Amino acid sequence: MKRVALFAALVAVVVGAAAAVAGGARQASPTKLTVWVGWSAGHELTVFKQVAAEYDKAHPDITLSIVGGITDTKIVAAIRSGQAPDVVSSFNSYNVGIYCGTGAWRDLAPFMAKSHIKASMFPAATLYYTQYEGKRCALPLLADTYGLYYNKTLFKKAGITQPPKTMSELAADAKKLTQKNKDGSFKVVGLDPMIGFYENVPERWVAAFGGKWTDAKGNSTLATSPGWAKWLTWHKSLLDWYGYKNLVKFQAGLGDEFSSSMAFEIGKLAMVMDGEWRVAFIQNEHPELNYGTAPLPVDDAHPELYGSGYINGTIIGLPKNGGHVDQAWDLVKYLTTNTHALAVLSNGLRNVPSTSASTHSKELTPDSHFAPFLKIFAHPKSGTSPITASGQSYINLVQQFVIKYQAGKVKDLAAGLRDTDKQLDAQVKQAKGGGGVP
Amino acid sequence: MSAAEVTTPFVRRRRPATVRRKRFLLAVANHAVLIAAAIAFLAPIGFMLLTSLMTSDQALSARLWPQPFAWHNFVDVFTTAPIWRWTLNTLQYSVLATIGVLVSSVPVAYALARLRWRGRNVAFMIVLIALMLPPQVSVVPLYVMWAKLHLVGTLWPVIIPNWLGDAFSIFLLRQFFLTIPEEYLDAARVDGCGELRILYTVVVRLAKPAIAAVALFSFLYTFNDFFLPLLYTGENAHHWVLQIGLSEFRSLHQVQWNLTMAATLVVMAPVIVIFFLAQKAFVEGVTLTGVKG
Amino acid sequence: MLLLMSPWLVGFSVFFGYPLVMSAYLSLHHYDLLSPPRWVGLANYRYLFFTDPQVGAAVKNTLWMIAVLVPLQVLFALGVALMLARARRGIGLFRTIFYLPALTPPVAATLGFVYILNPVTGPVNNILKRIGIDGPLWFQDPSWAKPSLVILGLWGVGNTMVIFLAAVLDVPQHLYESAELDGANWLQRLRWVTLPTISPVILFAVILGVIQGLQYFTQAYVAGNIASGQASQAADVTSVGLGYPEDSTLFYPVLLYQHGFSDFQMGYASAMAMLLLAVSFAVTLVIVLNSRRWVHHAAGALK
Repeated sequence: MKRVALFAALVAVVVGAAAAVAGGARQASPTKLTVWVGWSAGHELTVFKQVAAEYDKAHPDITLSIVGGITDTKIVAAIRSGQAPDVVSSFNSYNVGIYCGTGAWRDLAPFMAKSHIKASMFPAATLYYTQYEGKRCALPLLADTYGLYYNKTLFKKAGITQPPKTMSELAADAKKLTQKNKDGSFKVVGLDPMIGFYENVPERWVAAFGGKWTDAKGNSTLATSPGWAKWLTWHKSLLDWYGYKNLVKFQAGLGDEFSSSMAFEIGKLAMVMDGEWRVAFIQNEHPELNYGTAPLPVDDAHPELYGSGYINGTIIGLPKNGGHVDQAWDLVKYLTTNTHALAVLSNGLRNVPSTSASTHSKELTPDSHFAPFLKIFAHPKSGTSPITASGQSYINLVQQFVIKYQAGKVKDLAAGLRDTDKQLDAQVKQAKGGGGVP
Repeated sequence: MSAAEVTTPFVRRRRPATVRRKRFLLAVANHAVLIAAAIAFLAPIGFMLLTSLMTSDQALSARLWPQPFAWHNFVDVFTTAPIWRWTLNTLQYSVLATIGVLVSSVPVAYALARLRWRGRNVAFMIVLIALMLPPQVSVVPLYVMWAKLHLVGTLWPVIIPNWLGDAFSIFLLRQFFLTIPEEYLDAARVDGCGELRILYTVVVRLAKPAIAAVALFSFLYTFNDFFLPLLYTGENAHHWVLQIGLSEFRSLHQVQWNLTMAATLVVMAPVIVIFFLAQKAFVEGVTLTGVKG
Repeated sequence: MLLLMSPWLVGFSVFFGYPLVMSAYLSLHHYDLLSPPRWVGLANYRYLFFTDPQVGAAVKNTLWMIAVLVPLQVLFALGVALMLARARRGIGLFRTIFYLPALTPPVAATLGFVYILNPVTGPVNNILKRIGIDGPLWFQDPSWAKPSLVILGLWGVGNTMVIFLAAVLDVPQHLYESAELDGANWLQRLRWVTLPTISPVILFAVILGVIQGLQYFTQAYVAGNIASGQASQAADVTSVGLGYPEDSTLFYPVLLYQHGFSDFQMGYASAMAMLLLAVSFAVTLVIVLNSRRWVHHAAGALK
C-alpha cells in the first residue's frame, strides 16, 4: 500500500513537472500565423508589414509571417491541396461568389457575432462585395476607388483650365493634349481609353455612364441598359480618332505600370484613369510631378452621376482548412475594424479606409491629391460590379467582348450585347452546376 | 553513312566542262542558301545577346547596338531573381526524373523487345498509344489525385511518374534492343544467367549509346518542361523551376527587356553547353528515334 | 517478366488508365475541387458544343496550327536536309547551327521572339523600317500572332531536320545511279528515289507534328501573357492574358487549362479533355490509314 502511494506520488510529481514544462514551453514558443496578402510592389508590402509588426509586439504569444504577391489562383491552389495559410487576402472581390458559395472561405457570421462586430460598421458598397447570397465569407480591408489623374503642366500648355466633367469634354481635352513626333508616332497621348491597358477595364468606365449589369432577377442587362451602348460608342469613337493600331504601337513601347517609368508619371500620358493608390506611387517615385486628381467625367446626359465612381477593394478572410482559427480571426478583426491600423494602412498605401469610423479618424493625414477619392467612396451613387457564381470569368467575358468590339470586330453592337447577355446568363447557370443551353 | 552497294563496277566518264561548271555553280548556290539560312537561324540569338547588353532605357528605345556594353546585366540577373533556387529546383526535377526514367524504362523495353510472352504486342501497342496521348487529357484527374495527397505545390507530382516508365524512352530503347543479336543473349542464358542478370550485364553494356541518348533526352525534356511544373508549382514560388521563373521574370520585377533577355540567355546556356559536350550522343540519339522508328 | 514490366504496369494504370476513367467520370459532374463533385449529366458537353463562346476559336486555332505548321515544318526541314546532303564541306557546323535552336527551352525561345518581334522596340521592325517596310504588329496583331508562332516553330525545326538528313544520307547510292542511267534529272531523282525511300521518316515526322500540335500549350501561353503584358503593362489580373490578342493565340489546350485551373470548372475541363482524346485518336488513325497510300515500307521498318 505504501509502495503504491509512493509510486502514485512519484507519477503525480513527474506529470506535474511535465505539465509545468509543457506549459512553460507553450508560452515560450508563440503560435505562428501565416498571412497571405496581395501587396508586393515597392512600398506597399513594407507598410503592411509595419502594421503587422505592431500587432506582433502587442501579442507576444503570436508571431506573424507575412507573404506578399498573392493572387487568387495561389489562394485557390493552396486551399485545394490542403496547404492553406491561416489568413488570406485578395486584391479584388471578383471571386467572392465562389469563395462563399463553395465554403472555401469560412462563413464569418458566427465569428462576427461572437466578437460583436456588426455589418453596419462597414459602408454599404463594401458589404455587397464581401458576401454571396447572404453568406458573408470575407470582410473588406481597405477599399479602392477610381478617378481621373491629369497632368497640370500639360493642361496649362494646352490652355485647359480645369479638369473635364463630362465625357464629351474628356474626349475634346484628350484630343487637344495629344502631341505627335515628326515620324507620326505619339509623343504624348491625351488619354488612352483602350480596354486592357493599365487600369482600363469595363466595370470602371461603364459606371460613369450609369450602365447596369443585372436586373433584380440576376439576368444580364448589357443590351437593355442604355449606359453600355452609350459608353461603348463614346469609347470607340475616341479610340478610332487615335487609330487602333497606332495606340497598340504606342502601348508596346511604354514602361511597366508599376515601375517608375509608368507613362503618366513620366509625362507620356496627359490623363489617366487610375486607382487611388497611384497617389502613393507618385509620391514615392516622382514627387516633382505637377498633377491633379478629380472624379472621372460622366455621361453628358447624367450630370447627377458626377462625383461617383467604381468601388472595389481588398478583402480578407479565413480559408476553410487554415489553422489557428481563433487567433486568425482575432487578427482579421483587428485589421478590418481597428481604426488605428486602418489609418496607418490608409496613409501608407493611400487606400481608402474601409470602416465608417476610420474614414473620420484623426490619424489620417490629409492629402489634396487623395481627398477626391475619399469623396468618391462616400458618394451615394458609387457602386461596384456583380458578385456571381462564375466569379472572375463573368467579368472576363464582358472584357473579351469589349476587346473584340474596340478592335472593330463587332459590326452590330446591339446584337453583340444581346449575345453577350445570353452567354453571361448561360455561364452563371453552368457555374451553378446545371447549365447548358439557356 | 551511305551504304554503297556496288554490284557492277560503274565507270564514271569525265564530264564535259560545261556540266562541271554547272555543277560547281549549283554547289555554290547551295552553299549560299545554306549560309543565308544559317544566318537567319543565328540572328535571334544574336539579337537577344545584343539586347541583353543594353541599359534599361536603350532597351526601350529602337536602337540595335548597345552603347556602352552593360556586361553587368548578367550579374544583375542573379541578384534580381532567385536564379540559384530555381536552378536547384530544376536540377532536383531533372536529375531525379532522368534516373527514374532509366531505371524504370530499361527493364520494360527489354521485356518488350527480347522476351517472348503473350500479349507482348498488345502491350507495345498500348505504349505507342500512350505516346500519342496529349497530357491535357489526364491532367485534371491527376491534379485532383495529387491535391488529395497534399503534394500540389511541390515537384513530386512531376517527378514520380517518371519512375514508373516513360513511353518515349521505352519505345526508343525497345527499338534499339531489337538490334542486339540473339547470340549474345543465348550465350548468357546458356551460362545460367537469369533474365535480370542478362539485362544488367550484357544488354546494358551493349546499349550504352541508346541509354546515353535516353538519359540526355530525358534531362533535356525535363529541363525545358513548362506545362507540368506550371500546373503543380506555378502558385508556389519557392519550388519554381527555371522555366517558370523565366516566364514570370519580367512581370515579377518590373524590369525591362534588357535584363529579361539576359535571363533568357542564362536559362538557355546550360542546354547549349550540354549539347556541345555530348554532341555525338545527341545526334546518334535523334537519328535512332527517326530512322529506326 | 512481370517483375521487369512492373514499373510500367503500375505507371500505366495510375497515370494512364485511371485518369482516362476519372476524366470521363468528372466530365459528367461540376467540380471545383473546393466542394464535392455535383452530378450534372451531359450539361458540360452541351455547354461545350453549343454555348461556350471561346471553344469555336480554340478549335479553329488548334486546327489551323496543325494544318499550317506541320506541313511547313516538314517542307522546311526536308529542304534544309536536302541542301545539307548535297553540300560537301561544313555539314557538321551547319547541322549544329540548325539543330541548336530546337534544343532551347520553349519558354526562352518564345520570350526571345516576343521581344525581337516587338513592333516598336524590337530589332526586326527596326531593320524593316530601315529598308522602308512598315512592319506588322506581330504578336500584338490578331492576324499576325499565329504566323509569328509559326515562325517560332520553324526556328525549332532542327530535330526533324537532323532526322531527315540521316534518312536522306541513308538512301542507297545504287538507286541514284540506276536512276541516272535511266536519264533522270535531279527533280525526278528526288521525286522517284529520295522521297519514296524516306517516306516512313516523313510519316513519322508528320505524326509527331500533329501530336505536338494537339498539345500546343507552352509557346501560346507564354507568348499571350508576355505580349499582353507588353500592351497593358499591367501587373495584375485585370487584363485577360490567355489568347492575347483577341483569342488569336487561344488554342484548345490553353482553353482547357484556363477552364480547369483558373475558372474552377474541372468537370467542364474534363469534358474538353474527352473531346481532345477523341480527336487525337481520330486524327492519328486517319494519318496512319492514309499513309499506306504513299509510304513505302522497307523491310521491317515501322512497328
